[in-house]
Amino acid sequence: MTGFKRISVLALAVLMVVTSVFAQGTKEDAAAGKQIELTVLNYIDMSEPNSANDITMVWDKFEAENPDIKLVREDLFNEPFHQKTEAYVASGQVPDVLYMWPSGRSTSLHTTKSVKDLKPFLEKDGLFDQYNPATVAPQFAGYLAMLPNGVTTTHMLYVNTKVLRDNGLAIPKSYADMKAMVAPLKAKGIDLIAMDNMDAWVMQSCLFSMVVGRFGGVDWYERLAAGKISFTDEWFVKSLDLIDDMYKSGMINRNSLTSPYGSSRGSFAAGKAAFYIDGDWSTGAFQTDITTGKALISPALQQSDFELMVIPNLPGEVIHNSNSGVVGTGWGMSANIPAGSAKEAAAWRLIKYLQGEYVQTYRLSTGASFPSNLNVDVEKVVKERNLEPFIAKRAAYYAAHTPISPVVDGVLHSDVYNVINVGLQEIGLGSKAPKQVASEVQKAWDTWKKNQ
Amino acid sequence: MPKVHTLADAKREQRRAYWTLVLPGFLIYISVMAFPTVFSVILSLTDYNGGRLFGGKPVSFVGFKWYGRLFVDEYFYLALKNNLWIVLVSVFGQIPLGFFLAYVLHRGLVRYGDFFQTMIYLPTVISTVVIGILWKSFFAPYGAFPELMRLFNPSYEYGISSHPLFPVLFVILWMYTGMYMIIFIANLQKIDGSVIEAAKIDGASEGQTLRYIILPALSGVLVVSAILAISGSLKSFDLIYVMTGGGPANRTTVLSIYMFDKAFKGAPNYPLANAISTVMVLISFSLIGLTKWVEHKFGGKE
Repeated sequence: MTGFKRISVLALAVLMVVTSVFAQGTKEDAAAGKQIELTVLNYIDMSEPNSANDITMVWDKFEAENPDIKLVREDLFNEPFHQKTEAYVASGQVPDVLYMWPSGRSTSLHTTKSVKDLKPFLEKDGLFDQYNPATVAPQFAGYLAMLPNGVTTTHMLYVNTKVLRDNGLAIPKSYADMKAMVAPLKAKGIDLIAMDNMDAWVMQSCLFSMVVGRFGGVDWYERLAAGKISFTDEWFVKSLDLIDDMYKSGMINRNSLTSPYGSSRGSFAAGKAAFYIDGDWSTGAFQTDITTGKALISPALQQSDFELMVIPNLPGEVIHNSNSGVVGTGWGMSANIPAGSAKEAAAWRLIKYLQGEYVQTYRLSTGASFPSNLNVDVEKVVKERNLEPFIAKRAAYYAAHTPISPVVDGVLHSDVYNVINVGLQEIGLGSKAPKQVASEVQKAWDTWKKNQ
Repeated sequence: MPKVHTLADAKREQRRAYWTLVLPGFLIYISVMAFPTVFSVILSLTDYNGGRLFGGKPVSFVGFKWYGRLFVDEYFYLALKNNLWIVLVSVFGQIPLGFFLAYVLHRGLVRYGDFFQTMIYLPTVISTVVIGILWKSFFAPYGAFPELMRLFNPSYEYGISSHPLFPVLFVILWMYTGMYMIIFIANLQKIDGSVIEAAKIDGASEGQTLRYIILPALSGVLVVSAILAISGSLKSFDLIYVMTGGGPANRTTVLSIYMFDKAFKGAPNYPLANAISTVMVLISFSLIGLTKWVEHKFGGKE
């Protein structure tokens, strides 16, 4: 044996001894071995002021209270979240507990039945009646695939009343009133409506779904599915015409098609636009960041200079004052977890915690969602915790704007709603006419129905 | 008695050494390049749509169904056209500009050459995602670009142009030119200075030196750069995905984003996505073949 070989053998031997010693683990590791490890796919919007606090206020608290459960959490946002979810579904390795949508963006999770039915769990623990009935109704695949945070309305018209006042304008009572505001505001370099339409879902979810409900009625989807109406009929073409009109008249600037989601909030808060269109979930983005004490819109200004409403009466609408809504996002449990196992019990304990009073009250206070858990008394929490005006205004907004019609991507398959999403952007670019888009959507609908 | 090494022993030893050196690389190539490519072609001919491949829902062959659907989709051609725009900007933008900058710096035609070399190369070492976010904010409706334009023209209104890909092309040019500049500088330094010196003594002008000595000596590098540019352009994804996500209305999409959307947006369509990737491979081979042919036909010898 040469000297070099001897040294190499010695070094390898030392390495083996060292690694085998560490591989045995410490006493703590051994204790940790008794823990049940749960993989969690979490959705977190880091652009919202209080989202980072979720980690301590929600997740760390759970782990502290449940030392027998170890969470291996993955935090993602927006498209990367959905793409990762699709990859998990495709590989059949869905995380134990995961954030998901009741339909639309989580279609694959539902249709492949990758998550368990949570109704038996709720019933076993006597919790079924403690949730808003709408939130525990069967979902996309005919069962309760996830336990929702609440009910969400996807259209909210945020109004900067100071901009209106400063320009001698008042809160509009009709679509025509709004349209008439374009010219005087434009003359001062102010946009009428700020909207971020680079992401194709925004227009469909946050405006078009509400418009479709106004022209098609609350039951448009039932009638469509029954074959009583089609996408080439007046209700749908009129809805597309309205979007076309909003772009053509300058109510929505065409350059909003280059604006990434969430990027206009600051400009709206700063008075560069009189209105901002988004979902109800975005109220949280304007609230005070607990850690820095800063807010896009301070509580005082939320009270004095801003209002929350829906777009007022549209010409030719068949229902008035309605909004589009859907059961909110929530938590599902992987179908891969063996039934009756300790892991299943741990996963259910986590979901119960995430939709329990503590977390739902916390989410209410940050503006993230309005609770599905009936034990959370919104009025009381708002009063007792002196929550920011947007929370109270949001509660009033829900009461003021009914009925609720379905959200397009909440009821249609992605093969169809993707054509609508792109079609709305084509209308925004002025490259396709509403009738052309309507016929393309009808074609996609027919193809999808044929393949079922 | 010591063992006598015969010629056969030497050849055996040589063969063993050859395989020892080649096999790891060969296996890695097969597993991460060749196998996925072939497998992707197979998947593009099936109706596989997620889940377990073996033991799950049975998979059947459907022929060229997905290719048929691909070739009637207007957005496929839009993506292809955008890819070709990127190839053009890369081959006829980045490479000539990179060569020009390398030549200027190498020949010392400007002062502070090291400074310029660093600044031009800098974008290459910054994360593509960071660059994408930076430029996305720059070109946003309420971003710095419209504000800058208003400095020169107060009535300037930032509107969506009929060429939404232009900002992306500009960033691609800005970002990758530095890489080609460095490649050319490295190869320019390899050219024997005495040859250029001799040409100068013989009365050759700067242009003649470039045309008859430097360019022929760099023809191989130019081809390699063109291949890098073409393959890089065809697989371009990250920067565009961050800057525009392919939107609005797929106006800035490229084949890789188009493929990604089919695989991961909404209900997945894996066979269609695999058909797109197969088409991308074929286009890539064709363009690289064309480049090799051009080099063979018109290139010099290094």
